[in-house]
Amino acid sequence: MRILVGIDQNPYSAHTVNEVARLAANTWANVTLLGLQTKASLSEEGSSAGAVNHPLSKALREYRELFLGHFKDHECPYVQREYGYKLIEVKKGLWEELYVAKSARKDLKSRIRVGNPVKELLAEAQEEESDLIVLGCDQKNDCTWEHFSTLPQKIANDAPCSVLVVKEENKVDKIVCCLDHDRVSQRSLEMINQLVTLHQAKLVIIGLTEGDELKAEVENKMDAILRYYAARDLEPWIEIVQLSSLDAFIAQEAKWGLMALWMGKKSILEKVLPRKKVDKLIKGSDSSVLILR
Amino acid sequence: MIKTLVFLNADLASSIALRYACQMAKTFEMDIKSMHVEEADAEGNPPGTGWVRRTWEKGLLGTAETEISRLINAERTSCPTLGSPKMVVGDREAEILRELEEGSYQLLVEGILLSFDASSFENRLRSKLYKKMPCPLLLVKNLVGLSKIALLLEDYTDPRILFSTFFELAGSSTLHFDMFRVIHQKPGRLSFKKKAPESSNSALGRTDEFLAKANNVLEETGRHPLTVKTVRDTPAGIAETLQDYGLVVTGIPRQMAKNSPMLEVLSRVPSAVLLCWQ
Repeated sequence: MRILVGIDQNPYSAHTVNEVARLAANTWANVTLLGLQTKASLSEEGSSAGAVNHPLSKALREYRELFLGHFKDHECPYVQREYGYKLIEVKKGLWEELYVAKSARKDLKSRIRVGNPVKELLAEAQEEESDLIVLGCDQKNDCTWEHFSTLPQKIANDAPCSVLVVKEENKVDKIVCCLDHDRVSQRSLEMINQLVTLHQAKLVIIGLTEGDELKAEVENKMDAILRYYAARDLEPWIEIVQLSSLDAFIAQEAKWGLMALWMGKKSILEKVLPRKKVDKLIKGSDSSVLILR
Repeated sequence: MIKTLVFLNADLASSIALRYACQMAKTFEMDIKSMHVEEADAEGNPPGTGWVRRTWEKGLLGTAETEISRLINAERTSCPTLGSPKMVVGDREAEILRELEEGSYQLLVEGILLSFDASSFENRLRSKLYKKMPCPLLLVKNLVGLSKIALLLEDYTDPRILFSTFFELAGSSTLHFDMFRVIHQKPGRLSFKKKAPESSNSALGRTDEFLAKANNVLEETGRHPLTVKTVRDTPAGIAETLQDYGLVVTGIPRQMAKNSPMLEVLSRVPSAVLLCWQ
């Protein structure tokens, strides 16, 4: 798995890095910490300093240490190990004492991109072929980002991969996943599994229906999902919600820790939850939001 | 052995119900049989009699038999004593009722998916079958472990019927259960959940008379709950209190009032509800 974490200098980004570190400890994902800086804010804080001496670069170093702090030294897959000099047979009959440095088993990159944060984050996701983008946000201000307030909503809508918007103040004790079609990737199932295990949360699979009953293919998929998680000792609940009641359902269930939406191409959710509603969900809900693609 | 009938359709709810029944059979001593009723189209009456009718029924049952068998075969590993289902053509409710009576079944198990809209559960409970059936009904919504069982009592519950029905099903198995005295609260009012006073048999008059009566009946059975709690809350709040329980047991009248708060509680319980008719 490749995880891309969008960060800035605010406390919500530190919380996000902690959450990603916990996830990475379970999954051994390749992780990129990407500091996002607009050109305008760069010039506000001293253009001569550039990105190198910018406060964001100091924050990035601190986040890296924060991330690595979740691992015990000998268990950390992100640290480069040096073994020193070793006698290696370079060709038949010829041995040479070479300096051997074993590389880290997994990548942990720290980068800064300057420009439009949405474009830069999406470009990084494309170049790195990220599976998951993770962002925090300022919950007290409608889940916004300093210097680019609508970043979380825009990334959730436009990213080609899954996006997790982490809310700082809510403990995740329930994960609610909304499904309305039968195209659910193995990767997304595994992602949910990891999050449930990480948070020791209750898993609820919501079947969305336009009428009184689920479509046969959705029922079959839910049965398969139920068996998949049962084999991993999870006992998810199944619940049916009519699309006409979706708004009421979301409003009522503000106490969830995390809400996951399977927004595939054939998903009714893509139509029923247009951008404005996804924005509203990200801004207004106390739950973290995971858009699965 | 509790003679148990699991009604199956080729759907997710039935699959969950069957798995739950198989799991329950490991704790309660149950002899599980299954059946499916294929209903004829509303347009056509069954043609003729004799071999004409039999041929027509065979055709109707063909696909259903394959699907139901597939459902049963999927559970054979965890439930090896599960036999082939009884396949019948006719009116669903009439055929189930006939089977329950002729087979002297002690429990009917059906699946119903948990729904955000409480009306689907409430409408189901108004079925004519449930008004006439001779045994308790287990409605399974989700596959949840049976480590925690809750017995609910409210004002109209006859504790004698509830306990005798439940403990007859439990047989000699050593079950742990919690007892809840439920008091329905309107939204906006103060709610509470508290442990019932330990001195529930005290003659001092400070105790809940209802719980005292229930405890006296329980004493006769020789069974004791792990905890006894009083819950005063809205239906949604009560259902949330019960969300960790794998089985919720209560006594209800065959005809419940349309806006009954207990009906709403039962519709929101996410696991399984065992209804003992009063």
